[in-house]
Amino acid sequence: MRFAFWRRKSRNRELDEEIRAHLSLAERAEQQSGRSPQDVGSAARREFGNVAEVEELTRRAWGFAWLHDLTHDLRYAFRMLRKNPGFTAVAVATLALGIGVNTTLFTAFDAVALKPLPVKNPRSVMRLTRWFESGAEGDIQNGFSYPEYLNYLDRQHSFSALVAVSWPTAATAVIPAQTLAQGILSAPSGAPGEPERWLGQLVSANYFSELGIAPLLGRMFLPDEDAQQGGHPVIVLSYPCWSRRFQSDPQIVGKQIELNGISYTVIGVAPQEFIGTANPPVIPDFWAPLSMQPQLVTAENWINEPLNRRVQILGRLAPGVSRKTAQAETQVLGLAFCAGYRETDKTTAFTLVVATYFGQSNDFQFRVFVAALMLVVGMILLTACANLANMLLARATVRMREIAVRRALGATRSRLVRQLLTESVLIALLGGAAGFLVSLWTSRALWVSIGVIVRSLFAMDPNAVQMTPDIRVMLYTLLIALFTGIVFGLSPALRSSRADVSSALKDGGSAFALGVRQSRFRTALIATQAGVSVLFLVASGILLRGLVRSQVADPGFETKSVYGFGLQFVNDPKAANSLAHRVVDQIRSLPGVESVGIARSFPLTGTWTPRIIIEQTNANPSNLPQQCLANYASRGLFPTLGIRIVAGRNFDGAEDRVGGNVAIVSESAARTFWPGESPLGKLIKLDLNFRNDWHEFQVVGIAADVRSANLTRLDPGFIYVPTDESKLYTYALLLRSQRDSTRTSAAVRTVLEEAKHQQLPGFRLVSLEESVVRVQRLMPQVFAWITACLAFLALVLAAIGIYGVASYAMTQRTREIGIRIALGASPSDVMGLLLRDGLRPVLIGGACGMMASIGVASLLRASLAIPGTLDISFGAGVLDPLTFAVFGSFLLIVALAACLIPARRAMRVDPIVALRYE
Amino acid sequence: MGDSKERYQSRTEILQGTLDMLILQTLLWGPRHGYALSKAIRTNSGEILKVDTGSLYPALHRLERKSWISAAWKSSDVGPRLRVYTLTRKGHKQLTTERSRWERMTSAIAGIMNPAKQSSES
Repeated sequence: MRFAFWRRKSRNRELDEEIRAHLSLAERAEQQSGRSPQDVGSAARREFGNVAEVEELTRRAWGFAWLHDLTHDLRYAFRMLRKNPGFTAVAVATLALGIGVNTTLFTAFDAVALKPLPVKNPRSVMRLTRWFESGAEGDIQNGFSYPEYLNYLDRQHSFSALVAVSWPTAATAVIPAQTLAQGILSAPSGAPGEPERWLGQLVSANYFSELGIAPLLGRMFLPDEDAQQGGHPVIVLSYPCWSRRFQSDPQIVGKQIELNGISYTVIGVAPQEFIGTANPPVIPDFWAPLSMQPQLVTAENWINEPLNRRVQILGRLAPGVSRKTAQAETQVLGLAFCAGYRETDKTTAFTLVVATYFGQSNDFQFRVFVAALMLVVGMILLTACANLANMLLARATVRMREIAVRRALGATRSRLVRQLLTESVLIALLGGAAGFLVSLWTSRALWVSIGVIVRSLFAMDPNAVQMTPDIRVMLYTLLIALFTGIVFGLSPALRSSRADVSSALKDGGSAFALGVRQSRFRTALIATQAGVSVLFLVASGILLRGLVRSQVADPGFETKSVYGFGLQFVNDPKAANSLAHRVVDQIRSLPGVESVGIARSFPLTGTWTPRIIIEQTNANPSNLPQQCLANYASRGLFPTLGIRIVAGRNFDGAEDRVGGNVAIVSESAARTFWPGESPLGKLIKLDLNFRNDWHEFQVVGIAADVRSANLTRLDPGFIYVPTDESKLYTYALLLRSQRDSTRTSAAVRTVLEEAKHQQLPGFRLVSLEESVVRVQRLMPQVFAWITACLAFLALVLAAIGIYGVASYAMTQRTREIGIRIALGASPSDVMGLLLRDGLRPVLIGGACGMMASIGVASLLRASLAIPGTLDISFGAGVLDPLTFAVFGSFLLIVALAACLIPARRAMRVDPIVALRYE
Repeated sequence: MGDSKERYQSRTEILQGTLDMLILQTLLWGPRHGYALSKAIRTNSGEILKVDTGSLYPALHRLERKSWISAAWKSSDVGPRLRVYTLTRKGHKQLTTERSRWERMTSAIAGIMNPAKQSSES
């Protein structure tokens, strides 16, 4: 290419020479026409026109002009930034905070919802999802039975491979002394041969080969290793298990490990980056072939049960098959299979989603949650950008003369705008890079702080989620940096390039050349910052008040001496019920155990809100709820938790065993459902499965109000129905014991091991106080601190903005102030004037922020009508005027201080100096 | 003096899109450098057309990029070397098409401006 970009320099020299030749020839012509020698040069130039402009236009004809301009602009922008290190530092730091917060949130979102599984070609790996008639959502949507998997395997044509992987299941591991390398303790306790609790996943034999996971050591499963039941006692260890438990013993392959009493051979170790495909994410200790299910999950045979959904299915799309086609086939095959059985909750559809860690990322609630968080951190970015725009505007005014000179010398307006934009984009990119670095640290900090909550709410292992940023995070950061650079640099660039050349040059960019419009733009920017700050301040105020109350909030039932654990037996409700009651009876007879109760779920962990119809009531129908908090309960639950029966009776023995059409309601339920009446003997109807499965219950007792849905507030109406032998097969067992828990633990463990025919190593009783209550008290702490941090950030950014604009206005108005003082204005007059002008946008924005806060708080209060929702203020009332006033006034104080400093400086202006200024 | 002012005013801006054609046509008489080209266009138009340097040089470089003209350096007695442009074979062809387009255009415009003359011809 003749005009290649790299020949630029010599091309420029040549062009220069060409034009010089032109001028020399023109000079000679002028000379010949008889002009005096001293005039010929200027005459030739006049005739020629603007040399720089001609050169510029000619260069444009070469092509690559934009590239040339860009490098030129970049070099210039770098020089400008280096020349003003203070300006650059503040602008970049401001943006780094704004962008860093956004990148942090996106990193977390990316890690849980966007990152594909750590497998080969993850985009083509789909997770099969089922949808229920009841609309039930969550993990159960990923559940499939093993026969269902085999059915797909035989009939489908859309996938090049289908793999099945079970939910993590616990097994008792015993490591023989000869398996351990020398010097390694055989068990954490040090005792040789002591059983340990391991988590394992049962997988189809093609699991690793089809997902493209190569072993770090040894080999993965062979194709026929899931064929013969019980025939292949082999396991693959996960990297964390191998490194932690065997201290990365390179000789591990071929050694034996005993799991649930059967010896298994270690055939390989998975690579470090493979952290499993479990959803929610958990890294297991080992993987075993599905053929070993009866041996590993003793007393169960779900591998042969067509409705027992214990595996997740992942499929790799065959080449050339679209997701839509595969989904249609999956739907047809799946529904045909289900039609052959009587499901308790009918499957209505099957869908495919690209397999990520968090399968429910297409869930509506999850999206709303993420969108809300994005909005929150977006507001922080907005305040940061307002600062950037303000600083650029201020600097543009300082540079007005420079810009006017450039225009006079022939720079076009678009060229100038482009150059100014290059500067703002460069600042934004630097800010983005710094923000990215900030986010590396903050995202880890965020994950550590919410780790406990994540573990308890989503049952996922926080270590299994990799917070390392990937290409998506970098791209996201780059995009928001570019976006902020262009959007917030554009307005200042357009404004300053519009400057009228002659007036700017004449009065040297003084205050009087500035239009009103510019100040209005500034006002809007400051008002935005003030509004966002107030919103954050009030929100953190509400949360901090909630935090204070949360630490002393009394659940209303006993938590310190009550211990709980889940009971899960077989998939048959009747058998499970009798087993549960047998376990309850046995545990009750243990020494030190005062009482035992069972329920459908533990208090303070999730809620069940069936639809309700209240009969025989004279309450206003609009006051009656459509849904109500409820739980199944045995008669022992009330004394165990210490919930008083204030009227009526507890369930009797027969109701306790087999269930019955009776119910106990809480005091608040009695008050709302039957105001001024006794609820005893009244009838209610509950839809037990969200699919018009209405059952009638008669109220026989009233229980005291407690906080069992969540710690934030008293349950707004609660209904207990007896544990029904035909409905439940998983139970929460609660026992009360005043004795030292380790001794009770050992006794309870023996009972459970006998009932489940399986060893339970590592079993330990944990009190409600230490488990669920702790999490409930921790959550307001974490949320309050995160919000307070954001509020602080917004406030600092707003303070920088207010201070910057105030001190800028001061310098711009020095002459005006000088005149005022010369004409007899007192310092306090001047001070008042400057404060008024500085604070006006703050007050406007603050008022808007207050209104927005009231709106948000009202929404929160309205949400309390739904049973089970959180009350973030812990009953203090989200619309508390004191909180609004106190936290809102923070902004005023900061704004006042930010205006006061430059205003005091202005007061000391000497009128003589001020008038001579410029 | 009055004469020169009048002359200046009667100079016309070159019609949009015809500069390329004028350059190619001028180069048909032989290779020329930029200054000579602008002089030639002015003289040949009877001092009516003045080529602005801000249009001439970008046009020359553009035509060179399209390979309609080629450039070579020649030494001169004024100091800097001269960049001399020559019409290429491709430029020749281009000139022919531009010329025929120009002729079509002028006759079309003439038809509109002098309708009587045209109807009398028919």
